[in-house]
Amino acid sequence: MGRLRRSRTHKAQRDVHRASRTRAKTRDLDQIQLIDLDPKNRAKLEAQPINYEKPGLAQHYCVECAKYYETDAALQSHWRSKVHKRRLKQLREPAYTIEESERAAGLGREDRRPTAVASSEIMVDAV
Amino acid sequence: MRIEKCYFCSTNVYPGHGTAFVRNDAKVFRFCTSKCHKNFKMKRNPRKVRWTKAFRKAAGKEMTIDSTIEFEKRRNVPVRYDRELVQTTIKAMKRVGEIKARRERVFFKHRMAASREKQKAHRKKALEAVKSKSSVKLLEPVSTTTEKEKIKVPVKAKSALIQGEGRSMGMEID
Repeated sequence: MGRLRRSRTHKAQRDVHRASRTRAKTRDLDQIQLIDLDPKNRAKLEAQPINYEKPGLAQHYCVECAKYYETDAALQSHWRSKVHKRRLKQLREPAYTIEESERAAGLGREDRRPTAVASSEIMVDAV
Repeated sequence: MRIEKCYFCSTNVYPGHGTAFVRNDAKVFRFCTSKCHKNFKMKRNPRKVRWTKAFRKAAGKEMTIDSTIEFEKRRNVPVRYDRELVQTTIKAMKRVGEIKARRERVFFKHRMAASREKQKAHRKKALEAVKSKSSVKLLEPVSTTTEKEKIKVPVKAKSALIQGEGRSMGMEID
């Protein structure tokens, strides 16, 4: 059998492509977990000054999902939604960071004096 | 020039290879291939993708606590070139590599032995469940003896290479 799918069938994916643009990028999970969920930052985000550029003048913001809502009712119904609950579940486990990727690769941080490390590395061949 | 680590799969990214994404808080995400970049754009968690180093480390597929892994470090103060130092370092790297390979082999062996036990128990349980359910008598497999001998792994009672055996995993540095 040859190729079954036709080419040029990606027409309906416009919104998918737009959502993946860099300018449509919102806060990442690690930023939210490590910075935004801190009570001080959270209070600040929830009581933002009026901003004409943002949806709903930036008055109804969901910190976990990093999203603005138009009205308080919309925000309330969002909190009851599946999307929000799924997000809460994702935020419950520790976020993946660049440091973790380096640790997984076996790359450690140097915390001792450089001279001490150099001398200990030389002595390894004695093992 | 510095060999970076891929954000997604934790492999080496050599100068002139891969792509980098700089987030608006100045964090640099480096990717070895377009595959890793695409997976990042899909917002996947590397800890849940089975082919990444992060998954393998988190799921206990590879050694995590071992002194042979701890030699690679990010150093921010460059070391002055010294011919002697280079020679000894290269020698040490080779030796450490040998030790690491050996430990990894032992670790793998033990992991497989444990999983085999688990599998055996699981199969036994499933077989018993089938037996109790059906009235048909199942014949016992006869030629299990040869398999059993294969399964047996010569395990030393106490090995320094297995974690948590009472001995420390440190390499003696004098």
